[in-house]
Amino acid sequence: MDLAFTPEEEQFRSEVRAWVRANLPADISHKVHNALRLTRDDQQRWARILGKKGWLGYAWPTQFGGPGWNAVQKHLFEEECALVGAPRIVPFGPVMVASVIMAFGSPEQQQRFLPGIASGDVWWSQGYSEPGSGSDLASVKCRAERQTDHYLVNGQKTWTTLGQYGEWIFCLVRTDTDCKPQAGISFLLIDMTSPGVTVRPIVLLDGEPEVNEVFFDNVKVPLNNLIGEENKGWTYAKHLLSHERTNIADVNRAKRELERLKRIAKAEGVWDDTRFRDQIALLEVDVVALEMLVLRVLSAEKSGKNSLDIAGLLKIRGSEIQQRYAELMMLAAGPFALPLIREAMDAGWQGDLVDGRLVGFPGDALHCAPLASTYFNLRKTTIYGGSNEVQRNIVAQTVLG
Amino acid sequence: MNFDFSDEQTQLQDAVRRWVDKSYPFTHYRTTVQAGGFSRANYTQLAELGLCGLLVAEDHGGLAMGAVEAMLVLQELGAGLVLEPLTDTFIASSVLAHFAVPQQQVQWLPGIASGDTLPALAWIERGARYNHTACHAVASAAGNGFVLTASKSMVAAGDQADAFLVSAMLDGRLALFWVDRGATGLSTRGYGLQDGSRGADLTLTATPATLITRDGTAALELALDVGIASVCAQGVGVMDRTLALTADYLNTRKQFGVAIGTFQALRHRIADMQMQLELARSMSYYASLKLSAPPAERRAALARAKVQLGQSMRYVGQQSVQLHGGIGVTDDYIGSHYFKKLTQLELSFGDTMHHLGEVSARMGDSAGVFA
Repeated sequence: MDLAFTPEEEQFRSEVRAWVRANLPADISHKVHNALRLTRDDQQRWARILGKKGWLGYAWPTQFGGPGWNAVQKHLFEEECALVGAPRIVPFGPVMVASVIMAFGSPEQQQRFLPGIASGDVWWSQGYSEPGSGSDLASVKCRAERQTDHYLVNGQKTWTTLGQYGEWIFCLVRTDTDCKPQAGISFLLIDMTSPGVTVRPIVLLDGEPEVNEVFFDNVKVPLNNLIGEENKGWTYAKHLLSHERTNIADVNRAKRELERLKRIAKAEGVWDDTRFRDQIALLEVDVVALEMLVLRVLSAEKSGKNSLDIAGLLKIRGSEIQQRYAELMMLAAGPFALPLIREAMDAGWQGDLVDGRLVGFPGDALHCAPLASTYFNLRKTTIYGGSNEVQRNIVAQTVLG
Repeated sequence: MNFDFSDEQTQLQDAVRRWVDKSYPFTHYRTTVQAGGFSRANYTQLAELGLCGLLVAEDHGGLAMGAVEAMLVLQELGAGLVLEPLTDTFIASSVLAHFAVPQQQVQWLPGIASGDTLPALAWIERGARYNHTACHAVASAAGNGFVLTASKSMVAAGDQADAFLVSAMLDGRLALFWVDRGATGLSTRGYGLQDGSRGADLTLTATPATLITRDGTAALELALDVGIASVCAQGVGVMDRTLALTADYLNTRKQFGVAIGTFQALRHRIADMQMQLELARSMSYYASLKLSAPPAERRAALARAKVQLGQSMRYVGQQSVQLHGGIGVTDDYIGSHYFKKLTQLELSFGDTMHHLGEVSARMGDSAGVFA
């Protein structure tokens, strides 16, 4: 038993750190460190920089052009990226659909789709949820009817994150209704420029169109865009969700945001308020405990011993912690969390022109501008990816059977 | 970074578990509680297993093992509700190894390792709560040695112990002393504790004592951190059993014609208990692995661990009672004894609120396991 990383792992970390620090554009990390608005261009610039290095698909095996890192190396990469203020890699392409294409796609599909994902050139979206489906994913209704040379897709997806930027979308579609729900689902890749695809933004409570509805109206999808076998999509979907949930603890971002919370608390004068500071201390303990839990999982993956089936715990705890730091940041700002000045969440905002001169954020508290919005936005974390209540069902199943 | 146990460590844990299963069933625990909460015969058996000398160097008759082995042993002793306090044995072994001069180590450690000397840490005073530096005990030079005047409480099995590690002020600084049971002016008054184990008041009146170190603060802080790690490990053992017992009960107990473990409200409570247990287990590892860190880092880490364990033990204990319903609040049922043990562990070596204050006071700019 040893808490320290091995010298080889530390060496790996310092190489990754040096490269990330040298290559992450300063304007992007400034936005991330201050929770300012990231544009499509910001996201894609960083994705392409990583893609050029071969690290956008950082979890990929070497046979598909990935670095072939083990669990610990992947963790160290994620940690170095998070701490230095890199945007989260938009996971739908390089993390999610890529893992399905690699595991279940045909060689032709792998050659056709993986290069564009690895380079960061093609923006992928996720078409899983539907109106009314919630955490009950198997209730998919979006219909794909097999015609002679294509599928005809009709239906709707929703909560499609950043779908307004999407060029391709991977979808769970219903190909058979005459069976139990899980058995009639297929996994289809759809070009979002196809006739009949409509994307409509959903404005969230923070005022941002982060998610979308995607409508399919007689969309023709070539038969060779089907992954694996027809009606086996549920198997592939579960494979994908397991990838989604191990990353969902997001402990590295939590560490970065806890540091930011401390800076905000100092700037807002609550650091020396015992009542407030103890709440930060409690969160600090939560973050350390979550990190230890993550490290235990990594250790088990590395050695292949004592495997830990605790993805549900990681999701629950990670999401609760994200919500808590956002809440404490907002509370630290006090009344100055309340002004809603959307432009102040853009980098470089100088203020509004009032009587011919620039007037900044109330109280000159510009760093408070995004705090309430982030708090509101992160309420999603205990809902998405299988709500925490569904996760508790899963955890209870492991204990009670 | 690696959290696997070696084959040797697993074998040690298995050996202790087998001993607990065979020699320390619930009935035996009950008998021992009724006999006062401490059995020298039980302690001797622990010594025969080599456990009293677990952390003692081989030169002094010990097994020269480390914090991880101690953690695994204590998990099992916790799970088995073993009443005899190896915590203080481990504290004494660690403190003497770090702070006593070689001649003292030769004098004291072999007896500790063999089980002939039962040591106990005496640090708690009325009014100081968990603040180890608020000490009214006084030491003064007398002849070639020292004499102590002190009034300590909650000394583990104090009326059975053979020697005491006592904190006292010497020339305005906290120092740590060794006091033999037979020393003049020493008296004890034993009593049962909430978890069934035994505690005592220790009163010293101009009692001859041997100085271990003038750096009593550093020595006592090491002692307390070893104590915290011990509490964490025992807590994990007790919580493991508590959760298993509760899950078993939910799957057997029927209400409204079905097992109550089918009710989602109760299933979610089990999920939350599992969460607290796994966070606690993680932080127990952290506590044990950080015991060898430099003092400032060690103190901060052990405080964090105790905050997690304190919360977890309280939650798991309380919810177990609740999920059991009426049977959970009866003395006959082992679950209520797990709950009391968890409660006592939370109040030992600083409770959750105390250690939250420690974490808060020590908090730096950076965050995480390695900060």
